[in-house]
Amino acid sequence: MSTDNGFLLIFRSVNWYQDLSPEQMQQVVASWVAWMDRLKEEGKWLGGDAVEREGRMVMGKTRVVSDDPFADAKETLGGYLVLKAESLEEAVLAAQQCPGLSYGVSVEVRPIASKYPRLDDAVLQELTRR
Amino acid sequence: MGKQDMATGVTESAAAGWPEHLFRREAGNLVTALAGVFGLHRLEVAEAVVQEALVRALRIWPFHGMPRYPAAWLTQTTKHLALDTIQREANFEHKQQQLIAFMAQWPGRAADSAPLREADIRETRIRLLFACCHPQLSPEAQVALILRVLCGFSAAEIAGAFLIAESAILQRLADARQMLREKPVTLALPDGATLFARREQVLHSLFLLFNEGCKAAGGEALGRATLCLEAIRLAESLVAHPAGDQPRAHALLALMLLNGARLPAPAEGAGNMLRLQEQDRSQWDRGLIARGMFHLARAAASEKLSEYHLQAGIAAVHCAAPSYAATDWAQILELYDQLLAHDDSPHVALNRAVVLAEVAGPQAAIAAVMAIPDLPMLKSHYLLHAVLGELEFRQNNLRAAATYFHTAVQLAEMKSEQLYLTRRLQTCLGQ
Repeated sequence: MSTDNGFLLIFRSVNWYQDLSPEQMQQVVASWVAWMDRLKEEGKWLGGDAVEREGRMVMGKTRVVSDDPFADAKETLGGYLVLKAESLEEAVLAAQQCPGLSYGVSVEVRPIASKYPRLDDAVLQELTRR
Repeated sequence: MGKQDMATGVTESAAAGWPEHLFRREAGNLVTALAGVFGLHRLEVAEAVVQEALVRALRIWPFHGMPRYPAAWLTQTTKHLALDTIQREANFEHKQQQLIAFMAQWPGRAADSAPLREADIRETRIRLLFACCHPQLSPEAQVALILRVLCGFSAAEIAGAFLIAESAILQRLADARQMLREKPVTLALPDGATLFARREQVLHSLFLLFNEGCKAAGGEALGRATLCLEAIRLAESLVAHPAGDQPRAHALLALMLLNGARLPAPAEGAGNMLRLQEQDRSQWDRGLIARGMFHLARAAASEKLSEYHLQAGIAAVHCAAPSYAATDWAQILELYDQLLAHDDSPHVALNRAVVLAEVAGPQAAIAAVMAIPDLPMLKSHYLLHAVLGELEFRQNNLRAAATYFHTAVQLAEMKSEQLYLTRRLQTCLGQ
C-alpha cells in the first residue's frame, strides 16, 4: 500500500457541543487547536478544513437533490484533514490523539489512493492463495 | 476546576496561551450587547445567537488555528449571525429594517476586526443588571439570571456552584425570562425612589452572589474564587456608573475585595473564621486589599453605616493585622455588635462569638453561643458544632470538643471541610 498521497481523516460527530458551557467550549477548542497546530509543526498536515452543517445531496439518474441528506444520519461530517504518515498504523496513531474522541467525535482514516495503486495486503494474500 | 475537567476530558494545560475565560467573558459581553439591540423580550434569541457563534469557533478554529484577534472574531461572527437572525425572523416586525441598519454598523467602528469594547457595553451591562434584579424575581432567580446572561455561565455550572439540580436552574431561568418578556421589563433605568429600591436589590443580589462564591458550596465545581471574582467585576462596573456610584455600593465592593483578597487557595478548603488562624497571610492578595481600602474610603462619604460598611470594616481590620494574634479583636467585636443591630441572624451571632473568644476567652464565647436566640436554626449547620468544638478545645475539654467535632464532620458538606474537622477530631482524641 502506498502512503505517498497521505491519509484522509474524516471527522464525524453528533452535535455534542450544544450542551457545553462557554468555559468548556474554550477548553475543548483549545485542545483541538493545539492538536492540529502540532500536526502542522511536525509537517504532517497536508490540508484540511471544516465544513458547514448545511449542504445538498445529489443522487441517482434523475439527479435528485435533497436538502438535508443527513437528516437520518446520527453523525454529520464536521471536517476533514489530509495527513502525512508513513503507514496506516502511524495515521491511526495520530487519529487516536484527536481531542474530539472524548466527546463522541469519530475519525475515519483512509489512505488516499495513488494513480497506480499497489495491492492491499489482504487482497494480495487472497490472490496468492488461489 | 476538577469536576469540569473530568466531564470534558480536557486538561487545563491545553488552554495555555489563551486569554483566560475568553469564551465565557465574550459570551457575557455579547449577550449583553445583543440584549441591548434585541430588547429584553428576546433575551433567548440573543443567548442562542451567541451560543451559535461559539459553536462556530469550535468547529472552525481547529483547522485554521486560533484567530489573531479571537474576541474580534467572535464579535464579527455574532454580528453576522444576528443579522441573519433579524432578517429571517418575521416577528421583528416594523423594527426589522431599523435593526438591520443598526447591526450593520455594529459595534460602531469601521474596521472589520473590531472587537466589542468595554465602552460598547458598559451602559447596557448596568441596565441589564438592574433589569435582572426586578422585584418580581426572587433573589435566587436574579442571581441565576445575572450569572447566565451577564457572566456567560451555563445552567449546569450555576447548578453545580449552588449544589442544586440543573433542571431547577433551567426552570428558574425560564421563569425569569418569561417574566421579563410578559411584564414587559425594559432596559430603561428606573428613576427616583424606584432607582433607590432597585439599586438596593442589585446590591443585595451581588452580595448574595459573592457569598455563594465564598461558601463551601461554590468550591468544587467552578473553582472557589470564580463567583466571587464575577461579583467583584459587576460591583466594579456598578460603582463606575452614575446609577451605582453610591457609598453603600462602594462599601459592598470594599467588603468583596477585602474578603476576596483573603480567600484561601482551593486546596485549603473553605475559609471560615476558625481557619483564619492557620492561613498564610503572605498569600493574601495585596492588590485586592489596596483596591478594597480605596473603596472603603469612598464608602465613608455616607453618614449612615450600612451592614456592608460594617462587614467591610471587619474585613479591613483583618487585612490590616500582621498576624492572627496581633489582630485588633476589640475593634472587630465592636463592629460585630453594630452588625448584630442590623442583622440579628444566628450566623452573625455565631461569628461574633468566635471574636468574643479572642477578647474575653472561650468560656464567655460558649455562653454567648448558648445565648443566641435562634440557636436551633444553627443545629444542622456544621459551623456551630465546629465553633463549639474549638472553644471546648481551648478550654482543654477534649472529650466535649471531640463530640462537637464528630457532629461537625457528619454535617460538613465539603470534602476539604470534612478533612479539616477530622484532623481537629483526631487532635482531640490524641491521635
